[in-house]
Amino acid sequence: MFRYFLRRLAGLTPVLGAAIVVTFLAIRALPGDPVGVMLSDHSADVAMATRLRAEYGLDRPLPEQFLRYVWDIFTGNFGLSFRYVHRPVWEVLRDSLLISPLLALGALALALPIGVLLGVQAALHRNTMRDTAIIVSLVAGLSIPNFGIATFLVYLFSVKMNLLPVAGWGQFKQAILPIVVLALPSAAYIARLTRTFMLEVLQQDFIRTARAKGLAERLVVYRHALGNTLVPLSTSAGIMFGGLLSNTVVVETIFNIPGLGRLAIDSIFARDYPVAMAVVILFVLFYALINLAVDLFYALIDPRVRQEIAA
Amino acid sequence: MKVGPKSAFRVLAVAGAIFVGALGASLAEAKTFRINVVGDPAQMDPITYSEIVAGRILRAMYQGFTTIDDSGRNVPALAEKWEPLATGPGFRFHLRKGVKFHSGREFTAKDVKYTFEELLRPGAKGGLNSTYLKVVVGADEMKKGTAKEISGVKIVDDQTIDIQFTKMDVLFPIYPFYFMDSGIVAEQGADWMTKVSAGTGPFKFSKWQRGASVDLVAHPGYWGGAPKVDGLSFKIVPNADTAISQYEAGELDFVDVYAAAMRRVLRDDRFKNDIIRVPRAQSTYLAMNQNLYAPFKDKRVREAITIAIDRPAMVKGLYGGAAFVLNGVVTPGMPGFNPDLPEIKYDPERAKKLMAEAGYPGGKGLPPIDIASTEAFKDEITYYANQFNRVLGMPVTVKVVERATHIRAMNAGEVAFFPWGWTADYTDAAYYLSQMWYGPSPYNRGRWKNADYDKLIEEALTVADDAKRFALYHKAEKILLDDFGMAPVPMSAVVGLKKPNVKNFTITPFGFGEFARVEIN
Amino acid sequence: MSGGKDSADASSGRFIRRFLRQRNAVIGGAIVLVVLAVAILAPWLAPHPFDATDLVNVWAPPDAVNWIGTDKLGRDIASRLIYGARASLMVALSVVAITLVLGVALGMIAGYFGGRTDGILMRIVDVTLAFPEVVFAILVASVLGPGMATVIVSLALVWWPGIARLTRSLVLVQKQELFVDAAIVAGASPGEILRRHLLPNIIAPLIVRASVGIGFIIMAEATLSFLGLGLQEPTPSWGSMIRDGLPALRTDPYLAVSGSIVLGLTIIGFNLLGDGLRDVLDPRLHGR
Repeated sequence: MFRYFLRRLAGLTPVLGAAIVVTFLAIRALPGDPVGVMLSDHSADVAMATRLRAEYGLDRPLPEQFLRYVWDIFTGNFGLSFRYVHRPVWEVLRDSLLISPLLALGALALALPIGVLLGVQAALHRNTMRDTAIIVSLVAGLSIPNFGIATFLVYLFSVKMNLLPVAGWGQFKQAILPIVVLALPSAAYIARLTRTFMLEVLQQDFIRTARAKGLAERLVVYRHALGNTLVPLSTSAGIMFGGLLSNTVVVETIFNIPGLGRLAIDSIFARDYPVAMAVVILFVLFYALINLAVDLFYALIDPRVRQEIAA
Repeated sequence: MKVGPKSAFRVLAVAGAIFVGALGASLAEAKTFRINVVGDPAQMDPITYSEIVAGRILRAMYQGFTTIDDSGRNVPALAEKWEPLATGPGFRFHLRKGVKFHSGREFTAKDVKYTFEELLRPGAKGGLNSTYLKVVVGADEMKKGTAKEISGVKIVDDQTIDIQFTKMDVLFPIYPFYFMDSGIVAEQGADWMTKVSAGTGPFKFSKWQRGASVDLVAHPGYWGGAPKVDGLSFKIVPNADTAISQYEAGELDFVDVYAAAMRRVLRDDRFKNDIIRVPRAQSTYLAMNQNLYAPFKDKRVREAITIAIDRPAMVKGLYGGAAFVLNGVVTPGMPGFNPDLPEIKYDPERAKKLMAEAGYPGGKGLPPIDIASTEAFKDEITYYANQFNRVLGMPVTVKVVERATHIRAMNAGEVAFFPWGWTADYTDAAYYLSQMWYGPSPYNRGRWKNADYDKLIEEALTVADDAKRFALYHKAEKILLDDFGMAPVPMSAVVGLKKPNVKNFTITPFGFGEFARVEIN
Repeated sequence: MSGGKDSADASSGRFIRRFLRQRNAVIGGAIVLVVLAVAILAPWLAPHPFDATDLVNVWAPPDAVNWIGTDKLGRDIASRLIYGARASLMVALSVVAITLVLGVALGMIAGYFGGRTDGILMRIVDVTLAFPEVVFAILVASVLGPGMATVIVSLALVWWPGIARLTRSLVLVQKQELFVDAAIVAGASPGEILRRHLLPNIIAPLIVRASVGIGFIIMAEATLSFLGLGLQEPTPSWGSMIRDGLPALRTDPYLAVSGSIVLGLTIIGFNLLGDGLRDVLDPRLHGR
């Protein structure tokens, strides 16, 4: 089991390495010149431009820049931000590091119970009005863009009812609206999945057996059916967390939250190469680790997979 | 555990004390003045800063010889008075006594010299303010590294300093310098600006939470009297609408309204009594680079384009009233402004006639051209493109370009047709006239040149008498406008919202007013 | 469900009947057809040109001339919504077409031939899938600069690996079927096997995936436009219309609201259609 874990971890390395190369090239390929951004209105000052370029190593040939970058990473140095003068990249990241995963986790924690509940209800009452009503609202929840939902909720809860703050970060209540906005599409997605899986499971023989044995309906549903639904659900949950992480980009922009998502956009727009690289690589790392964790979880709980690994 | 009446009483007493304490603490809570800025500053270094947000925040912490007061006039700050040198071009400044830095040290002439030298030192990336020193004797040598100090800056005594020029620059006293504490590096190290501030202003640096806010606290030893609030918080709010919503929800005491939200603010009755609206000190224009598009060489084409723009409609429609028509280069409220300039009337018929006279009837024969600018000017260029297409038959395409690329291209004279604005840093029309349309200026992005104009500007910079100098400005401006060197376009207003309980703070054409006396009741 | 071309006619008849019985699919299909029609007939349907500015008449409420009012430059909202359908559909359909062609082709090759080709292709897929979607799309869009081509390319780059992986697993399963061996014995070339024998049998789940995906692609294009990386002026896009309309939401809601409704309905339509198709085509939910 442990060896399986190590093997999977090792398998991440080439993917990560390739991701680093791709990101490096993509960011260097961004139109516009970081030195131009640094100088802004003064980009006519050739002397200063040359000096800045040399200082940040931007005048070296590309392969050399890449090798230096990789070497720097190994020595733990992510470089200096282009945008925030004199600040090391890790310091710029440090403040934002935990915020986005926290948001994503919060959204998942909210979305899972709601989604599962709705999905079970829809599955149990298939083809009735309740099912249709739930499905319609689920589809709507998935179809309305999060910036639309966000604006409406802000208008309702912050401005009209003055219950929750509009934007910003630092207090718990500032996290409520962003988490809700993030959670809604996920809840809808989870509900749909739950419904589909539940429907399949409910058709299976062992359910009929349980019913025939005279087990209480509630036990049948919640212990046996739901239990088996949770397995395929958990794999999807992992992927969803990754999706949530990248959805934080839009939500953080709307609610002015200084998280990784907004930092990613800001640094790409500002041509802050070192920070942009670091954030994108971080996203890739998170994403890969989450997928790994999901696979491991799957392996742990599904005896068939465990057998396969042992073999 | 049995709880008897005595212990119960004790618990209640403690709880009560805690409650009262908390209540008291929250009542005596620090009064912080909260205002918004559009993004993070790049840094907090008065020597190397080069963008607007940093400039705004630094203004609360650092000061120069003079400062801009709430009515947009220059008033003495760290220099009480000054007079021209008897021995040649230059000034002698008499500095204010009893001024304390944030560190507690006293401000003297040596700090002025130190600041100037830091601005020019080759190792440092002297930012915006270093260009103001170019007429100082010895500045060149300092920049090249051949001298260790600026020979033209002489300390007479703690409160007096002489600055010699290579040629007279009457505006030197109003240049926005930020004098810093010469002892700070020894005390805090080379990256002192990340921990403290080293200025003489009413507030000092406390904390910077990237993406969230920059927080300053009051400097009780401020020479103008301790501030009446405990701190300033510059909240970082990139989105126009969010800023308004935060104001409505009471999370901001004052809002600098960005362009996207101006119309909404001006139309909402709830804000009627909170609005402050002044012309922005930003000279906006539509450039026509004659080197890059042959038809621009013909004055008739330039005039046709200029009068094909419906300025009042733009003010009302595009800006919702939050704009002022500009008929020249110099903006209203700026010393040197010419209130007698004729209005540029919208005249599509005459425009069509001019185009035909120039050989392009109905636009036939005009090569296609892009009108380019950044995201901020997207609405304007969409309007212009459609307008010139319709009225003149000119095949104009909209091109939105990334900001750094665009600025670089403009500075290199590579953009043929673009709107842009130039924001003033000090209160004299020279800021516009000498930087934007003067031949040798690197920021003459439209590349319009006229020898008479250049001569007038050079002469004006040596004239100390305001009235005489302004007359020269007016003459130069007229040359530019008569030649249709560029098309003046409306400039957006500075709009602010102020909570009724905020006193002694306003917004000026130049940005935020003075923070020193702001009060929240 | 092994492929048999002899029962093709009967099964397509069965398909249509089952389709019509699914309420969701019918509603979704109707919405999609309407949007398609609007997009195709845009130049004839739109009452005004979509780029005609009229600064005297900005943010006008709906009236006889402008049925949904005007936007911040005085342009007719209704006309821009109609042309916006064109933009959204053009982007969505291009992306789907590209990802299907690319993803199916590569997935089939990887799945059928296996070995080194499979390894390399799947590595590429893994690397691409390692990037979270939104971040990747933003990165590519920033590199290429805003515009329709960029949106199409970046979204296609994000989506094709998923299709490729799905195709590959489907092919891996189908590869084991008897009819494939039979075709090999009969001397069919790999190309023929892929095209004539495997493809028809894997097409159904791919269509489902594609139709469900269109909804997400339209949403992704709207998101990119919302962030400023999408279609450029004066081309109307629902995403950028919503973005322009949001600051004015409280005083002039027509732009943002109409844009959101149209965007939401279209995505709902495609999602319902995809769901319906899945219910119809998925054999596991029938016959019980």
